[in-house]
Amino acid sequence: MVNRVVLNGQIHRDVRIAATRPTRENAEVNTVSVVPREFPRLLAHYPIFYTKNMETGRFEPCALLGFQPKENLFFVDGRWDAAYVPLQIQRLPFSLITRRAEDSEGKPPSLDVALDLNQTVQSQEGERLFLDDGQPTKFLQGITSMLSALVAGAKETYAFTGRLAELSLIEPVQIDIEFVNGSETKLQGLYWIAAATLKALPAARLAELRDREFLEWMYFQMASISHVSGLVARKNRLLSGVTK
Amino acid sequence: MTTRTERQPVRKILIVGGGTAGWITAGVLASRYPRRGDEGISVTLIESRQQPPIGVGEGTWPTLRATLKQIGVTETDFLRACDASFKQGSQFVKWTDGGESDAYYHPFTLPVGYEERNLAPYWLEDPRGESFADGMCFQTSVCRRGFAPKQITTPEFAGLANYAYHLDAGKFGPFLRDHCIEKLGVGHLYDEIVRIESTETGDIEYVLTKSGQTLAADLYIDCSGFSSLLIGKHFDVPFLSKNDVLFIDKAWAVQIPYSTDEAAINSVTVATAQSSGWVWDIGLTTRRGVGYVFSSGYVSDEGALEELKSYLSARGDLTPDLSFRRIDINSGYRQEFWTRNCVAVGLSAGFIEPLEASAIVMIELSAKSIANLLPGCRGGMQQAARIFNDTFRYRWERIVDFLKLHYVLSRRTDSPFWMDNRARESIPDSLRECLEYWRDHCPWQEDFAHREEVFSAASYQYILYGMGFKTDPAPWLLNDRDRSLAREKMNEAAQYAKTLAASLPSNRDLLSKVRRYGLQKI
Repeated sequence: MVNRVVLNGQIHRDVRIAATRPTRENAEVNTVSVVPREFPRLLAHYPIFYTKNMETGRFEPCALLGFQPKENLFFVDGRWDAAYVPLQIQRLPFSLITRRAEDSEGKPPSLDVALDLNQTVQSQEGERLFLDDGQPTKFLQGITSMLSALVAGAKETYAFTGRLAELSLIEPVQIDIEFVNGSETKLQGLYWIAAATLKALPAARLAELRDREFLEWMYFQMASISHVSGLVARKNRLLSGVTK
Repeated sequence: MTTRTERQPVRKILIVGGGTAGWITAGVLASRYPRRGDEGISVTLIESRQQPPIGVGEGTWPTLRATLKQIGVTETDFLRACDASFKQGSQFVKWTDGGESDAYYHPFTLPVGYEERNLAPYWLEDPRGESFADGMCFQTSVCRRGFAPKQITTPEFAGLANYAYHLDAGKFGPFLRDHCIEKLGVGHLYDEIVRIESTETGDIEYVLTKSGQTLAADLYIDCSGFSSLLIGKHFDVPFLSKNDVLFIDKAWAVQIPYSTDEAAINSVTVATAQSSGWVWDIGLTTRRGVGYVFSSGYVSDEGALEELKSYLSARGDLTPDLSFRRIDINSGYRQEFWTRNCVAVGLSAGFIEPLEASAIVMIELSAKSIANLLPGCRGGMQQAARIFNDTFRYRWERIVDFLKLHYVLSRRTDSPFWMDNRARESIPDSLRECLEYWRDHCPWQEDFAHREEVFSAASYQYILYGMGFKTDPAPWLLNDRDRSLAREKMNEAAQYAKTLAASLPSNRDLLSKVRRYGLQKI
């Protein structure tokens, strides 16, 4: 259960939040939605694909973390085993919620930072959210800018993937994997760049994609696919009981 | 020896009339033969400028998905522009005996195992307490629960269950028109034909328009609707009435608004039997189209209107501001559809009551056939016409048979309309012979002569067994292997219905999402 409350400098002045994050409950996912501005940093570790958002059917990029539901091969012995953690996980247990117009005295709806109180919240140790005078700490400011980046990133994502879909530059891909113990898995529901279509794209279209930074993002994502083998290696190490 | 006329290339096509028939035909031809300057085929459509008819809501067949895809429109644009919704089949209410629980489905998804074997005999042998459609097809459960046939993540034109559309015919034509003109290079003019000039052989040489233009073509396609400008008024091809078989000749139509924006949208056409015909009930995204098709030989216009009002009133839909429109229906078709250098498509070719939504599918089939049969030169046209006429006479006959089947199987005794429908002299021999055959043989694909039947053996099975027809298959034609295959497939269908129930959105929810987000191409 999630119990989200809007943060308030007075009410939550003494709240502290676990310094070691992400926590296990936040890390148990095998894909995580990502935004294009993260691609350069994700590229060092994760294979990036596109999936369809279950609510809207629109394409969004995601980093692949494991091969089964809840399997996160980057979460080892209670800690994240990569230098960069995708924003969508880093920001937990914080989120943005829309302040409805009627609650904001006629002003247009705005976004407030909220905290899930059912997640590890403590008052003895950990990161403080507010200073004694009720002003946000550096830590909370960092969280806020992360959340803003995700909101801006979502807009960029749909402009990006929407255009790719229009130009038939996204195609479904199925990846068959065999692990060391002989077990097999099929990765389904994933999409990637239709390389042949991209190659045949008229120069004017290419220029448009370049000018909008889309071309760069496409190549980051295409290059990231090589990390699938790294992910398989992580799984194989687990299966054969080899520890790092 | 070939004459000059015979070597005359067939490259200019003039379509007369811009309704659903005209624009589907234009779209199919122009997408099949893409425009390439002076080299290729040119398609021009002439229509008189008038308000498009107010759509009452029309049903289609799953073939329309392939047709739209070929024409090159996106499913999202189509759904949005035509207020279209997903149709997964028909539900027939009170057709069998008129009792309170009398209702059955004719879903679009084929009965289980249909691709390999005829498993209907094994349902007959042991129905396990389920109706034919419920036991043999997962889709009835999807329809009953008001689910859509797909998810927002399903690519356009693909489905988890087979589906077609309900659409606003008044918006469909204009939607296709814009696409045909802008994307397919179809020539278009608003004008009226005032004179038709013939060559000595009887071909149409050219037509003169009200604005004084002369339009000459190699092939003329008559999509002028009931006015049948070319095939009827000019060529005088006789109209074969089928009123002696199908008695429906009039309709009352009305539009019913939804009570709220969240009201459920039914994913089937509901056809509810009345004293002298039946009421259609079709859910678009913006409103319902409801109407009573009836036989004037059995009920007066006023009597029919009262019946329609009581249908609405029983559902809480009768409000004082409704406006009812009367429509005449003349069931039948032309003796031939393609004559000389003119072929009729749509209402000018024929019309049969809308019981199984055959109007638009016949337009699609005609347009496709014309595209496939199109001769290179005028000399080949006679043969193309002969093939077309044979095929479409056969198709119209099959439609008449199939619709009549619904009436023949009824056991209603509440009015002379239903009794007379079962009179031997009103039943075509071809249907009678089939019914005789089906007493100990379940309908199967080979029972019908053509490759592309309008109504397949699957449809016959759904109607026959939905209405309680008894086939008593000879035991020596049954075997254990197929018997266990049938069990297995029926269990799979039941399982699939459960899986879908957990993952399909409601028809309304999905249509709202399509409005908002659209469907992906892949």
